[in-house]
Amino acid sequence: MTVPPGQEPPGIRPYLRSPVAPVSPAPPAAWNRPAHRAPDNLRPYVLTAGRVQGDHPAVNLETQVTIRPGAPSDVRFMPTELQAILTTCVSPVSVAEISAQAHLHLGVTKILVGDLCAAGYLDIHQLEVDPVHSPDVILRVIHGLRAIS
Amino acid sequence: MDSVRSPDAAPVPVKIVIAGGFGVGKTTTVGAISEIPPLTTEAEMTSAGVGIDNAGHRVDKVTTTVAMDFGCVTIDRALKLYLFGTPGQTRFGFMWDDLAHGALGALVVVDSSRLDDCYPAVDYFEQSGLPFVVAVNAFDGVLANDLESVRWALAVADHVPVIAFDARDRLSVRDALLVVLDRALDRAVSNSRS
Repeated sequence: MTVPPGQEPPGIRPYLRSPVAPVSPAPPAAWNRPAHRAPDNLRPYVLTAGRVQGDHPAVNLETQVTIRPGAPSDVRFMPTELQAILTTCVSPVSVAEISAQAHLHLGVTKILVGDLCAAGYLDIHQLEVDPVHSPDVILRVIHGLRAIS
Repeated sequence: MDSVRSPDAAPVPVKIVIAGGFGVGKTTTVGAISEIPPLTTEAEMTSAGVGIDNAGHRVDKVTTTVAMDFGCVTIDRALKLYLFGTPGQTRFGFMWDDLAHGALGALVVVDSSRLDDCYPAVDYFEQSGLPFVVAVNAFDGVLANDLESVRWALAVADHVPVIAFDARDRLSVRDALLVVLDRALDRAVSNSRS
């Protein structure tokens, strides 16, 4: 028997509802939990489904992250933590700033940022030249700091 | 043809680590020069808890969550300097690899009346090869020990600068960072020659 929309028996519906189809590739299973506000005492790595190591190797504290142009803007199916990350990344921002502004543990932030990049929502900007080995970059920093008064 | 950078293009991030013991003025140092009020993030630190929590011969890994303060300075449209303060607890002072990886150098902030607080930081940077500078924070303009005594007590190599600075003063912090950058430049130049 088909139950008309809006007349499903109460109590089971939230867990039977299929999630809104995300862009491919499919997001990790960790996203499919109910998108309510996490309690404050939630253990941080619950958000990453227990993963403590991200899939993206290039995510460091200072790594710059931005919203990928053309990424879907409807993110209501996502957990609030991921929405908070995306809100932070409207202009270029470092992973450390995302962690501070979204009130997420740094290790968790790195993993979630890597997930959002893999799923097509964020760009992680990798450096073409390692600044540590670039006298030009260091000289620019020196000149920039000297200009501070 | 040069590509025109849009104002929203991501800058190249560079970072300097601000290290030292608890309460020596790391966050004050960051706040003195950062263009934003220092932000705090929570990170996980792991250290070998040998001789601290366990009486036996076992060496346990101790993992704890610590707060880390940081700030930033926009150098130009395409370059941004981040300053990361290491968590203060010396017990959990190891595993700074995340912080030190890719850093231009480190400023080790020292309270000259509590020199032993900075030993873990000095040890770490000596072993990792990261250019570092010892900066004695002159609380109220007074040094409890002169710089030569500090250098002797820390037994740092002759090429490691030991300077005095005031963590509350923007220009003093700027000058201390410039000393770190001089060392970073030395390393970059000698690496590019070899």
